[in-house]
Amino acid sequence: MAPPSSYRPRKKRKGPSSFAGTNNSLIAESGGKASPAFPLVSFLWSARAGVSQWLVLPLVLMAVGLFRWAVSLWGYSGFQVPPMHGDFEAQRHWMEITTHLPIAQWYLYDLQYWGLDYPPLTAYHSWLLGKIGSVIDPTWFALDKSRGLEDPLLKVFMRGTVVASEYLVFIPAVVNFLRRYTRMQNVPVWSASIALVAILLQPATILIDHGHFQYNTVMLGLVVASLDAILAGRMLWACIFFVGALGFKQMALYYAPVMFAFLLGVCIFPKIRVLRLVCIALVTLVAFAVLFAPLIIGAIGEEAREILASAPQPPLLQQLPIDLDKHSVLYAIAFQVTQTIYRVFPFARGLFEDKVANAWCAIHTFYKLHRFEASFLQRMSLGATLASILVPCTIIFRHPRASLLLPALSTVAWGFFLFSFQVHEKSVLLPLLPMTLLLAGDGGLSKETRAWVGWANILGTWTMYPLLKRDELRVPYFVMTFLWAYLMGLPPTSLEAYRSGDASEDNAEPHVVIKLLHISFYLAMIAWHVVEAFVPPPADKPDLWVVLNVLIGAGGFGLAYLWCLWKLVQQCRRIDQKVAEETQKKNQ
Amino acid sequence: MAELYPSLAQCAIVATAFKILLFPAYKSTDFEVHRNWLAITNSLPVQEWYYEKTSEWTLDYPPFFAAFEWLLSQAASYVDPAMLVVKNLNYDSWQTVYYQRATVIVTELVLLFALSRFVKSVPQQNRHLAHIASLSILLSPGLLIIDHIHFQYNGFLYGILILSIVLARKQSTLLYSGITFAALLCFKHIYLYLSLAYFVYLLRAYCLDPKSVFRPQIFNTIKLGVCVVGIFALAFGPFASWGQLLQLKDRLFPFSRGLCHAYWAPNVWAMYSFADRALIPLAPRLGLPVNQDALTSVTRGLVGDTSFAILPEVSKEHTFALTFIFQQLPLIKLWRRPDWETFVGAITLCGYASFLFGWHVHEKAVLLIIIPFSLIALKDRRYFSAFRPLAVAGHVSLFPLLFTAAEFPIKTVYTILWLVLFLFAFDQVAPVPEQRRVFFVDRFSLLYLTVAIPLIVYCSIGHQLIFGLGRYEFLPLMFISSYSALGVVGSWVGFLVVYFTA
Repeated sequence: MAPPSSYRPRKKRKGPSSFAGTNNSLIAESGGKASPAFPLVSFLWSARAGVSQWLVLPLVLMAVGLFRWAVSLWGYSGFQVPPMHGDFEAQRHWMEITTHLPIAQWYLYDLQYWGLDYPPLTAYHSWLLGKIGSVIDPTWFALDKSRGLEDPLLKVFMRGTVVASEYLVFIPAVVNFLRRYTRMQNVPVWSASIALVAILLQPATILIDHGHFQYNTVMLGLVVASLDAILAGRMLWACIFFVGALGFKQMALYYAPVMFAFLLGVCIFPKIRVLRLVCIALVTLVAFAVLFAPLIIGAIGEEAREILASAPQPPLLQQLPIDLDKHSVLYAIAFQVTQTIYRVFPFARGLFEDKVANAWCAIHTFYKLHRFEASFLQRMSLGATLASILVPCTIIFRHPRASLLLPALSTVAWGFFLFSFQVHEKSVLLPLLPMTLLLAGDGGLSKETRAWVGWANILGTWTMYPLLKRDELRVPYFVMTFLWAYLMGLPPTSLEAYRSGDASEDNAEPHVVIKLLHISFYLAMIAWHVVEAFVPPPADKPDLWVVLNVLIGAGGFGLAYLWCLWKLVQQCRRIDQKVAEETQKKNQ
Repeated sequence: MAELYPSLAQCAIVATAFKILLFPAYKSTDFEVHRNWLAITNSLPVQEWYYEKTSEWTLDYPPFFAAFEWLLSQAASYVDPAMLVVKNLNYDSWQTVYYQRATVIVTELVLLFALSRFVKSVPQQNRHLAHIASLSILLSPGLLIIDHIHFQYNGFLYGILILSIVLARKQSTLLYSGITFAALLCFKHIYLYLSLAYFVYLLRAYCLDPKSVFRPQIFNTIKLGVCVVGIFALAFGPFASWGQLLQLKDRLFPFSRGLCHAYWAPNVWAMYSFADRALIPLAPRLGLPVNQDALTSVTRGLVGDTSFAILPEVSKEHTFALTFIFQQLPLIKLWRRPDWETFVGAITLCGYASFLFGWHVHEKAVLLIIIPFSLIALKDRRYFSAFRPLAVAGHVSLFPLLFTAAEFPIKTVYTILWLVLFLFAFDQVAPVPEQRRVFFVDRFSLLYLTVAIPLIVYCSIGHQLIFGLGRYEFLPLMFISSYSALGVVGSWVGFLVVYFTA
């Protein structure tokens, strides 16, 4: 196997020659010697040729799993903060009520204490996890008595459920999606592995799910599965997965306009296909029906109807023009559906909650928005959101191509994040996911894309710092962000992505203006951390640092929105050109 | 060589990130032991260091380590002065935890330095082998489990050991190798187990002419003697002048402990106990006398003092004699062929002998074999096939050190990741040997590997599912111990063959 030391046969470079040449951005050649362009490439250096995916993939999944589990050793939202605790307690409480109460009461029980306000799939998920947990220790989920429980073993169990859910949904979805997507984009397997590590180590998602405590990856995983189905040409499966995502967490609505425009576009361009449209519509309806079926079936029984008849009517039901007999089956069904919708969508809350780095919160700093009526603000927010998503949705509708989905999804999600109603700082995960997936595309690891995607991710994680600080997650925040920045060759650890290297065309560094812009953002973030840590805010403005964080963040996210939009337009044009060239060739 | 990616520093950065994330992980009583030592060395005059006994965890490491603790305690006073109070037993404020955990990470830089010196010391054409071996040591699950979760300073100490081994590579630095090793002994006396190999090698290669036994190098002998005595005088001199040497001896060598440690280290005595246990049901048929006292002790294997029901008792003298005999064997060869690779082999075999036959051996001591062996495991495929079962057994045997649920995924996933990655990488690069390989060793190690996974599954989950929580707890421990013992003994036999036929 090993040749005598004096003689080394010249190694054949496998891969790059037959592909589009994305590896150029990974290997820096200087003086005839190849070296990795950024640290993450070095870690997969020996996998560059001829190492089976059966080895690389398990190793990658184990390594990223270790980081997830290590983050989960730290604090979680609401630890030792009675009486309400936080997201951890909310999720645990849902496991408690779904396993103990009849299904008719799920969306009704003691709404003041973390009443269920996520769509049905989360409820079923909680029920399943609660059942499993009760086998191990029933006291964890004892009705009412288990509120605010902080047993260390319970923490391990809950953390385990997050990891398990992620490894059953998000990770298979991302792996499959990347496999298909990179093949479609002619990206070598090696680059795909590197992109996979980068995507799976994305600090924001790890910190929120495994630190703060939530199950976002299930929803995000279902969205990625839906994208994967689109790439595979299985539009109906895409609908089912997307309904699943919506049914798990309403936040998936950020993606809905693009999915809608795309699926509609597929049925109309290049030629109208009515049958397909009907199928898509039917499957979506059926999927929703299946999603609500357990809730509805649970509401039909005699006892359930009694419970619902005596409960206060949800406002949505009151507004319905028809009058129903309170004990009828129809009333029970209508009640259950409207109550769920009413719980899931926070109509009654304000324009924004807490401080979040979006347009409203930023404007509010300078120009107080309470002076307007809530309904006016709602309409304004709706208008701004629609305006921001109009262009990307039109493009994806007119050019329903799978390769345009990622930039379109990121643009629209940024639009929603910046302008929509009731945005939470954690919602930044939604635009970040499709944007980070761009790393796997053709030229995704080039300096320019890496710089932008990395910058948006680090900025996004940074805007969540006030939240993470409350959960005692400062150390994991710094470690995971630095680690990711280091692996990707980004500031504050390295300026590699901003320096001109071999200056080949597909790996040019970003434009000078962008460079300056990004670097000033990085400097601002660092300065902010220093100030926040060492300078107490003035007494009359205790939130000054948080407000500053929001302002910087909102500005950056606006830029990210523009970049994604520009990427979308650029890619769309490139495809159009290619198509035009091909038709010209054919005509000749 | 373009193949040296990822570099040691890159791996160290990523590993450090992971280790920082492990700050809140489970920590054993060793954490309190070291906190107590920080307190003792900081607040008491040197004369009282080895007499202080407020805590049950008295200072029982040699003086250099005490001085090292004193040094760490200087910075500790800025972090949280309360951790330096001797009476604050079991004090673990988050500052204390962060500080002590951070010192482990920082002092591990010695290991990083030693490994980079090791890679540089290797000739160009074999440098990629040394690089992979160094990465395997740097990322060793043994060090992760023992230092960064359980809590100890092995990374730092093994760094000194490797440095000393690297210095032994060139004739010109042999003296420094001896000095470094003498200093290491004054940090932690467990390395006495390896000292015979050093003694023979330095005597043969430095004090005598390597080419001929009959040409003593008198000047070298004097230099080495003066330096080594100087180091020991520096460490123990002050205590000798206060007449405390006997007290130090009692503290450093507590011989009141039993044959097997609280958990069974995977050595010959674990197999002996297992055999004893297995013989109990057979004894009446074979007509063997049964020691009734040993039968009634339900917690067999969990308490310090082990007594045997059927097989004869083992005394300290037996274990010493056996250890000494099995250390002698490789030393004879080292005497006749004093080259660096034989020397590292001899160190490894000394480690094996003391681990396998020693009195009250702790399972952590398995690093004493694994780490020197890693340095030569890639010499050729024969070395590698002897190393393989050791790598599996040695690390699996460390699992019982961490028994909390939260650390379970870390220890298992990290170890499996390391085993898959490095056994695969070693397998890819290990050169073909000049001699024929031993068929038996290869098959044994393959068979051995395949048993590991069902065993880990059984011991971690299966056992509790079958018997319920808390019943027959000694059973999985005994299985792991015997399985690991088989691996360690097997790899020892395999390596003996390789060593003597090389």
